[in-house]
Amino acid sequence: MIEVAGLRKSFAAGGQTIAAVDGVDFSIKAGAMATLLGPSGCGKTTTLRCLAGLERPDSGRIAIGGATMVDTGVFVPPQRRNLGMVFQSYAIWPHMSVLENVAYALEGRGVPRAERRKRAMEALALVQLTELAERAAPRLSGGQQQRVAIARALVGQPQALLFDEPLSNLDAKLRIEMRNELKRIQRESGLTAVYVTHDQAEALAISDEIILMRAGHIVERGTPVDVYRRPRHVFTAQFLGSTNLIPGMVAEVNCGRLAITTALGRILGVDPTGALRGGAKVMVSIRPEDLATDGINTIEGRMAFAAFAGAVVEAVVLCGDTKIQCLLDGDADLTPGRSVVLRAKPEACLVLAEE
Amino acid sequence: MTRLGLKEAALALLIAVLAYQVIVPFAMIIWTSLKLARPGEPDFLSLSFTFANYLRAYGGEAFWRISLNTLSFAFAATLIAFVIGAFMAWVIERTHTPLAGLIGVLLIGRIAIPGILIAISWILVASPNIGLINQMALRLAGLRNPINIYSFSGMVFVQALELVPLTYLLLGAAFKAMDPRLEEASAMTGAGHWHTLRRISLPLALPAVAAALLLLFLTTIEAFEVPLLMGTRAGMRVYTTEIFYDTSRTPVDWGLSSTYAVALLAVAIVLLFAYFRLVGHGERYQTITGKDFRPRRIDLGPWRYATCVLALALVFLITGVPFLMMLYASLLPFYQVPSTAAFASMSLDNYWTLFQNSKTVTPMINSSILGPAVATAVVLVVALISYFVQKTRLPGRRLLDFLGFAPVAIPSVVLGATFFWFYLIVPLPLIGTLTIIGLAYLTKYMPVALRFVSASMMQVHAELDEAAQVAGGSWARNFLKIMLPLLKPGLLAAWLWVMVHAYRELTIALMLARSQNRTASVVIFDLWEEGSFLRLGALAVLMFGLLSVLCALARVISARFGVEEQVA
Repeated sequence: MIEVAGLRKSFAAGGQTIAAVDGVDFSIKAGAMATLLGPSGCGKTTTLRCLAGLERPDSGRIAIGGATMVDTGVFVPPQRRNLGMVFQSYAIWPHMSVLENVAYALEGRGVPRAERRKRAMEALALVQLTELAERAAPRLSGGQQQRVAIARALVGQPQALLFDEPLSNLDAKLRIEMRNELKRIQRESGLTAVYVTHDQAEALAISDEIILMRAGHIVERGTPVDVYRRPRHVFTAQFLGSTNLIPGMVAEVNCGRLAITTALGRILGVDPTGALRGGAKVMVSIRPEDLATDGINTIEGRMAFAAFAGAVVEAVVLCGDTKIQCLLDGDADLTPGRSVVLRAKPEACLVLAEE
Repeated sequence: MTRLGLKEAALALLIAVLAYQVIVPFAMIIWTSLKLARPGEPDFLSLSFTFANYLRAYGGEAFWRISLNTLSFAFAATLIAFVIGAFMAWVIERTHTPLAGLIGVLLIGRIAIPGILIAISWILVASPNIGLINQMALRLAGLRNPINIYSFSGMVFVQALELVPLTYLLLGAAFKAMDPRLEEASAMTGAGHWHTLRRISLPLALPAVAAALLLLFLTTIEAFEVPLLMGTRAGMRVYTTEIFYDTSRTPVDWGLSSTYAVALLAVAIVLLFAYFRLVGHGERYQTITGKDFRPRRIDLGPWRYATCVLALALVFLITGVPFLMMLYASLLPFYQVPSTAAFASMSLDNYWTLFQNSKTVTPMINSSILGPAVATAVVLVVALISYFVQKTRLPGRRLLDFLGFAPVAIPSVVLGATFFWFYLIVPLPLIGTLTIIGLAYLTKYMPVALRFVSASMMQVHAELDEAAQVAGGSWARNFLKIMLPLLKPGLLAAWLWVMVHAYRELTIALMLARSQNRTASVVIFDLWEEGSFLRLGALAVLMFGLLSVLCALARVISARFGVEEQVA
C-alpha cells in the first residue's frame, strides 16, 4: 500500500523555478502494479524519486506500507525505506561481480555474510542468472544487466519495488520478453510496484493501474482497459494508442447519447464524464480500429492513401479537408480516389471536452 | 584518391613541423649526454660517443642525494596537495556547502598567478627576519623566528599549495564524471552514507585518484620555482635546479646538466608509462562533461558551515596570500610590517616607476605578445592534429597523434635546455628572440591543448564534415567554416589555458632569456634577485590585471563566432 498526498517538488533551472511535480495525490493497493505514464518532463520520474527518497519533496505526504516516509518535519532517507529499485541505466556497480552486486543489497540490511551468498544465489536463480554469478559486472549484455538489477532489487525482501523506465535501453524484442518477465516476478513476489515509463504500449501491457501525468499533474487514472476504451480527456485519447479527433459542438443530449454537429456531418456518441451540456465545444474521438462497416454513424470520403500491413490495411480516408485514419479488412479495395463509407457505433465515438 | 590536395599537403607539413619540434629535444638531450665536446665545437657533431658523463654524474654521491631530495620533496608535496585538493573537490562538487561556487572560482583563479609569485609571497610571509609572521612574533611575543620557510617542510608546504588548483581540476572532473545512480542504487539497498562511500564511491574513484596522484607527482618532479627560490637556503637541491645551474653558470657544465636531464626524463617517462597503464589508452580523450547527470550532492546539515569556513581558509592560503601580499607590497614606499603608518604611506609610485623603465615595459609587452600568439598557434596545430586523427583515414595520422602527445614527458627545464643547445649549433639567428621561446612553448603546451580539443572533436559527428564535403566546399574552407566553429568550446578552453600558462611561464623563459627577449616572469625573477620586492609586487599586480583583460577579450571575441554554448 502506497499513499501519496499533495506532493510538490520544484527545481531551480537557469534562474527560474520549475514545478516538476505540482500537487499529486494517488494511492496504490497492496500487491498491485501501478504505472506512472506520461511524456518526458511530466514529473513521473521525479514522483518516483520522491517515493524512493532520492529527492526531498517541497511538501506533501508519502506513506509506504502504513509507515510515514515524508510529511511535514519527517523525511526517512532512502537507505531506511526498505525498497527495491531498478534504474534506467541499471546502475550495476562495475567494480563488482554479479554475485557481489546482488549480495551487496543485503550488507546495508545487516544480513550475515554466509546468508548473503545463499540469498543472492536464490535471487539470481529467480532471474535465471545462476551460471553468471562470478562474472564481472561490466561483461554483461544489456538484458543480463537488467536481470542483475532486478535480482538486486528483490534480494532484500523490500516492501515495494520501484522501476524507473527499466526497459528503455533494450531492443524491441528483448523489451517484450523482459516486460512479461517483470510482470511474472512482480506477481509471484506479491510486492506492490510502481513503474515509470513513457511507452504507452508497455504501460497498457504491464499495469494493474495506469496513472497518466502531464506537466506535473495527474490527468487521469484507471485500469488499462478503462483509460484506453473510456478516456475522459482528449490528452488521454491521443497519448494512448492513436485516434481521430473530429471537432464539433453538442447539439442534443438524449439518454446518455449525444448528437454532435461536425464538419463531417452529425455524429452520435457517448460522454464518459456525463458532464457535457448542449452547446459545448467538443472533440469526437474515434479509434482507427473502430471505423468498420457497421454502425449507425456514417462518414463519407475518398481513399487517399493505403498501406497493406498483412492482416489489416492502414488507410487514410480524406473526408472534406479532414484526414481520417482507419484499419480496413485485408481484402478491401485500395484504389486511391475511390469513394469510401466508414461506419462507427455510437459507443465507440467518445465525446470529450475541448482542451 | 591519388591526387595530392591541400589536405594531404597540410598533413605532411604538420608531420614535418611536429617531428622537428618534438624529436629535436629528445634527440638533443641524449646526444649531448653522450658527448664530451660542447655544442658548437666540431667534435660535437662527430659519431663518437662516450659514457663518461654518466660515470661522472651517477658515480658521485651528490647525484644520489639529489635524487633522494627530488623524490622525497615530490612525494611529500603530492601527498599534502592531494589531501587538500580532494577535500576542496569534494566540498565544491559533492556537498551543499554555502559559497561552494565562489570558492571554486577563487581556486581556479589562482592559476593566473605565476608560480614564482607564490614562492615569493610565502618567503615574504614566513622567512626568517623579514617574514611577516616572524616579525609579528618578535614584536608581540618576543619569539625569535619561530618558523622558517627555508626548510624541507616549508618548501613542501608552498609547493603543495601551488599544486592544489591542479589537483582540484583533476579530481573535480573525476568526481563530476561519476554516475550518481551508482550511489543511489547503494542507498536503495539500505546502505548508509559511510558504507556507500567505502564500498562504492571510493573503489569507483580509485583509478582516477591513482592517475591524479601520478600526474601530480610528475608535476612536482618537474617543479622549478619553489626549489629555485627556496632550495639553496634550505639545502634542498633537486634535478630541475641542478640542470638550471649547470646550464646557466659559466662555464656551462654540459655533461652534468645533460645527464641530470636524462635522469629527469627517465623518471617522467616511467611515471607516464604507469599512468597510461592505469587509465588505459582511451582516457586521454575522456570527455569531462559528456553525460546528462548532475552529481549527487551530500547534505551535510550544520556541518556545511564548518566545511565552508575550512574551505575559505584554504582558499585564503592558496589564492589570497599571494595576491594580497603582492597588492600590499606594490603600494608601499619601503617594505614593512602592516601598521597604520604603513597604510598611510601607500601610493602608486611603484607602478609609475615600472612604466618609466623600458626594462620592465618591454618584458610586459613581450609576455602580452607571447601568450596570445603561442595560444593561437598551439590551438590551430592541435585542431588540425585531432581533425586528422579522428576524422580522416589518411596514412600518418597515428604518428601525428603520438608526436602531439609525446612532449608531455619532457620537463620544462629539459625543454628549455635542449632548445638553447640546439639553436647554438643550428645556424638560425633565434637565440635571444621571442621566437625561440614561442617554439619551445609550442612543444610544451601541445599535449594539454590536444586533450581539450580532442574531447571537443569527439563530439562533432563525422557526418557534419562529410556533409560539407558533399556540399562541395574546398577542404580548407570547410575546415575554417565548419570544423573550427563547431569546435569552439574546446578551442576556447585550450586557448585560455595555453595563453594563461604561456603568459606566466618562468622555467623555459628563464633558460632562454637574453637581454631582448625577457618576459614578465623573468623580470620578476630579476627583481627578486635585486631585492626590489615593491616594484616586483607592482609588476605582479599588473600581470594579473593584463591577464584578466586578455581572458575577457578572448571571451568577447569568441562570442562572435561559432555555436552557442548550451546553458545548462
